[in-house]
Amino acid sequence: MSDRFTLSSLALHNLRRRPLRTGILVAALTLMVAALVFALSFVMRVNASINLTAERLGADLLVVPTGSRGAAEDILVENKARSFYMSRSMVDRIRSIEGIDKVCYQTYLVTLTGLCCSVPESMIVAFNQETDFIVTPWLKNKLGRKLQKGEAIVGSESAYNINLGLVNVDGLLFGNVFHMVGVLDKTGSGLDTAVFISDDNIEEILKNSKAGIRPDQISVIFAKIRKGADLYKVMSEIENTILEVDVVMRKDIGKSLITSLGDISKIFYLTMVLSTSLSLFLVWAIFTAIANERTREVGIMRALGAKEKHVVKLFLIEVLALGAIASIAGIIGGSALTLLTAKSFSILKNLPVELSVTARVFISLAGLLFGTGICALGALAPIRRLKKLEPLLVIKQE
Amino acid sequence: MPQIVIQNITKTYTIGNERIDAVRAASLEIEKGDFLSIVGHSGSGKTTLLSLIGGITRPSSGAVFYDGTDIQALGSDLLSDYRCEKIGFMFQFASLLPMLTVKENLLLPSAFRSRRSEIEETKAKELLSMVGLVEKINAYPPQLSGGQQRRVAIARAFMNSPEIILADEPTGDLDEDTEMAMMDFFRKMNRTEQITFVMVTHNTDLARRTQRQFRMSHGVIRQQ
Repeated sequence: MSDRFTLSSLALHNLRRRPLRTGILVAALTLMVAALVFALSFVMRVNASINLTAERLGADLLVVPTGSRGAAEDILVENKARSFYMSRSMVDRIRSIEGIDKVCYQTYLVTLTGLCCSVPESMIVAFNQETDFIVTPWLKNKLGRKLQKGEAIVGSESAYNINLGLVNVDGLLFGNVFHMVGVLDKTGSGLDTAVFISDDNIEEILKNSKAGIRPDQISVIFAKIRKGADLYKVMSEIENTILEVDVVMRKDIGKSLITSLGDISKIFYLTMVLSTSLSLFLVWAIFTAIANERTREVGIMRALGAKEKHVVKLFLIEVLALGAIASIAGIIGGSALTLLTAKSFSILKNLPVELSVTARVFISLAGLLFGTGICALGALAPIRRLKKLEPLLVIKQE
Repeated sequence: MPQIVIQNITKTYTIGNERIDAVRAASLEIEKGDFLSIVGHSGSGKTTLLSLIGGITRPSSGAVFYDGTDIQALGSDLLSDYRCEKIGFMFQFASLLPMLTVKENLLLPSAFRSRRSEIEETKAKELLSMVGLVEKINAYPPQLSGGQQRRVAIARAFMNSPEIILADEPTGDLDEDTEMAMMDFFRKMNRTEQITFVMVTHNTDLARRTQRQFRMSHGVIRQQ
């Protein structure tokens, strides 16, 4: 029989009984799930960006001038344009440390719109093609050859920034015309927004512009350690012997960003705890009211043969349906909020990594489980009370 | 063997420090197909006795046997099965669920059955026809008069083909003609289906139309 009367039919009737009260409960749960989805999306996106940057860096250690650790992370994790310099002699000193396998270096220049360059503020990364192991694998993959003097290749996200969008066009960088020969594949790091040139060009750049650096200066040294060497020992050796530098381990990249996000995370957690407590209380209060209202009905149903499990099932269907509706609305709302704020929050705007489909599915499932779980938890006590109701007590009250 | 044996049953409530014996040492044997009535004043223990027979409350002492089985020994689920499959309740008060249609109210007891029947809807229509309310099948209880609601509740009691009907003032809201019609309906079901009737009433005229009459006073039951 297609339209057989079941407990689900009864639950559906019950859900329609007090639309305003049901609406308030759904709205509260929706807000709670939306807040959770937003917070999870934010935190997971920051973490994914940091992890991917560290994973794809291709180096075990990052050596920067003392005090420039934060600026280096700004470039790598948050796509921000920064410049800092140290002497190139540091490369040999790092190479001479016990346990170091190989090193390479990069020099960072920041373009200034209108003064020297035909592009908005961007990072220009000059690298040594003989020693480099950071950019070269990507370059080989895309271009299949080394960059010539006067040639540049742009990061996957920078093509739009420099208004090119196409390869085989010329752009003015620090008073020098560069031929853009291609666009690198997306690396997932902050360097995706940079423009890459060979460090052969530095001399010409210095000749034709006021780039503000000396020819023997570099920005960052990347180091790989020998197999079996103790990473912590090598790092400590560098810091103890070369006072002009700071060392960042690959796994620690993004730590300063995470620290600076600590307060935001605390606000998120506090908001979640408050909204969860409020929702839990609201569900409990509303279902206690529902239980009081329906005591007589449950007594009648028990007298007509309903088992305890029927009473539990009836209310669970209602609770889970409400939780599921609110959770789905919350997931949609939270995702929309994430998308909207992605353009408003500078930190989100600069993060190189978007959430993967798997991460989005995980967040949605977490929202669904959380929303329905809180709903079920809040209704537990009133349902237990109704389940144990003795029908005669209700009948005698009439 | 009698269908129901009530053996020296007592039900005591404690309200604050006060103990109230709603039913005192009641004993009664009911054969299958019996039609008996219990009369008595309000608070004499009639409803409590019906509830004890129907397994919706447990006695303080004594036992109720159904076909030789002590229903107090049944667990919660089996006791619910007993109420669902064997008993048809007619309550003293309006007992329809207001958000369900008349048809859905009739189908409600079927939703608790372990094995559902394919002819539930047909049976609901037949029963409504018998109580003269088939045209109200899709109406909601608030759209019905008190008497009509009472008749729907009467029809609902027969939905699961019970062996015993426990009726607590079943014709309380009905006019005289409808009351007589309902009594005729009960007698017909009693004769044709061999359904046992235990009816609580204030109405002594109505009680006289049953096979056996009992009176309850202060929790004690006596045959008249």
